[in-house]
Amino acid sequence: MELEQLLDFKWSIMTPEFIILGVATLLSILDLFMPKSMDRKILGWIGVAGIAAATVSLAGFIDEPVTSILFDTFRLDSFAKAFKFILLIGSLFVLLLAISFEKKDGLAEFAGEFYYLFLTALLGAMFMASSGDLITLFIGLELLTISSWVLVGVTKRNKKSNESAMKYVINGGISTAITLFGLSYIYGLTGTTNIKDMSGTLMTMGGSQNQLYLLAIAFFMTLVGLSFKLATAPFHMWAPDVYEGAPTPVTAFLSIVSKTAGFVIIVRIFVSIFGSVPATGAQDALPMLLHLQDYIGFLAGATMIIGNVIALRQRNIKRMFAYSSIAHAGYILVAFTSMSYFTFDAIWFYLLAYLFMNVGAFAIIQLVGAKAGSDDISAYAGLYRRAPILAVTFAVLILSLAGIPGTAGFIGKLNIFMGAFATEPAHYVLASILIATSVVSYFYYFGIMTQMFFRPAADDSKFNIPVALLVVLIGSVVGTIALGILPNIAFDFLHDNFMQFKDFLQ
Amino acid sequence: MMSGEFIAFMGIALVAVIGGVLLLNLSNVMHMMVALVFTFVSIAGIYVLLSAEFVAAVQILIYAGAITIIMLFGIMLTRHEDTSEAPGSSWRKFAVFLGVLGFAAVLYFGIYNLDLPQMENTLHEKNTMQIGEALYSKFVIPFELTSVLLLVALIGSIMLAKKDDEKEGDKE
Repeated sequence: MELEQLLDFKWSIMTPEFIILGVATLLSILDLFMPKSMDRKILGWIGVAGIAAATVSLAGFIDEPVTSILFDTFRLDSFAKAFKFILLIGSLFVLLLAISFEKKDGLAEFAGEFYYLFLTALLGAMFMASSGDLITLFIGLELLTISSWVLVGVTKRNKKSNESAMKYVINGGISTAITLFGLSYIYGLTGTTNIKDMSGTLMTMGGSQNQLYLLAIAFFMTLVGLSFKLATAPFHMWAPDVYEGAPTPVTAFLSIVSKTAGFVIIVRIFVSIFGSVPATGAQDALPMLLHLQDYIGFLAGATMIIGNVIALRQRNIKRMFAYSSIAHAGYILVAFTSMSYFTFDAIWFYLLAYLFMNVGAFAIIQLVGAKAGSDDISAYAGLYRRAPILAVTFAVLILSLAGIPGTAGFIGKLNIFMGAFATEPAHYVLASILIATSVVSYFYYFGIMTQMFFRPAADDSKFNIPVALLVVLIGSVVGTIALGILPNIAFDFLHDNFMQFKDFLQ
Repeated sequence: MMSGEFIAFMGIALVAVIGGVLLLNLSNVMHMMVALVFTFVSIAGIYVLLSAEFVAAVQILIYAGAITIIMLFGIMLTRHEDTSEAPGSSWRKFAVFLGVLGFAAVLYFGIYNLDLPQMENTLHEKNTMQIGEALYSKFVIPFELTSVLLLVALIGSIMLAKKDDEKEGDKE
């Protein structure tokens, strides 16, 4: 390949990634030359500016037709664009949380390294969203994972943080090995790492029984490996410990950005590779993805039940939110299982809604946790007396997480619920588990509200909310309510700009 | 079908598997490292059989050489107990054994008479050059991304391992 040929590609479509990479590099150099005594928060603000600039430049490409560079190792299709918006907005909020992070023990704030490792994690997630080649997808996944390992252990004087980082490294390593094992089988059967070529080869292969058997093994290995990333049952064991031990902004990052990236890669790999393989030798047979969807459905059901039931017993609010985030991953898996016409819309909308409600909730957890010095649920007693507006805000976000009408969470769940009925045969069992476990979740969500509104306060001290946190709170509440009352804002945006993700496989 | 290649493969594969099993079962860290080296070197042997000489050389240089040495440094420079903890209950061992056996059986059914269409290829000719060309043209994006990944690993490990001089910083 000649140089002219390389330069012929439209590299400008990578502008958002280049911006993030550039800002990360800039921050690392600034951190090196800044005087030691200087406050590192300024680096955080530069990071925020960088993410905002990347979002704007991504918005500039919204009408861009599908563009791919170098045999799909980077491709910008509507799927990539839609999910990159979620990743960028989520990271923006989480970074604002990190700027206002203050802990009583140990470091007063994050070291400078935190901010650029955060940006590289985001960079990995963005590459996962926009690539059509397994190698780039995998390296993006690793970049995200390794950066998050460091982020979890960033408060290194805190024993709990160390423990959770260690657990995360071991679990992450195992899950990577399993994923890679599964992917290597797919590569072995097709002889290419390009997803489009893979699905083409597999479609025409006809498939002897033996090859289909191996492909099914690959399907399960990849699913299991990536399930670790999503923290779905029974591969969720690491999540509560890691969520509890990590600093709150990192917990928010794991539950929002990392989870979104996990769903992105699962949809990309499974829909394009296994969605096109006939499950039996015959050409007109059901695709393998639909053939094996009962197993994904089983995972979804187990995740919803385990997440919600174990959350009932938690006294530590971060552990409770860990289980709640496991349960929410289960809801999204229902949408993925049903594979209806609305699946992409439902997953996208739910992740967007989840972003708003969860980031706001973690902002309040961080604020109250720093004030009380513990994450026990009793720290929320009498919050309404101490800070009425804060309590009402938290109540709105919790109601949305529980899925009460008028909030974004309700619309998201409704979409998933309708999607489960839109297919033939309809997924009645999954839909009823979704409803039943949502009711179970009311108990623990409303438990927090009882603490806030009906219990006497231990002390009457007021909160002073940092500006960055205030921005997060306002943004999340506005987002939650706006998407709850006028969900069509999001859906119109989706339909006008992304054409039902029709260019997913082109 | 007892060609020389087959015998070589069986020998090398056996050494690789035995090395892996010993790594798990030995209790002395140094012995574990030696077992690991055996696995690494025999995997390099498999690469040679597949006429991927460049990958084989890299495997020996990086894995058997650099990584093992660095791990040995790590072991020798830190204080540690030489032996690992007592193994868990025998029930658990048995369950794990069953799991491993089941997984092996499942995979064996998949591959024992798998026939993949053979294709003529030229991968063995100028192996290193072909890798270089693919790396710097077709796969230049993941290649560059890998450099970011290595940078992150470097910064992250330094950050986690270095001593904090918070108090000294305050005095300045």
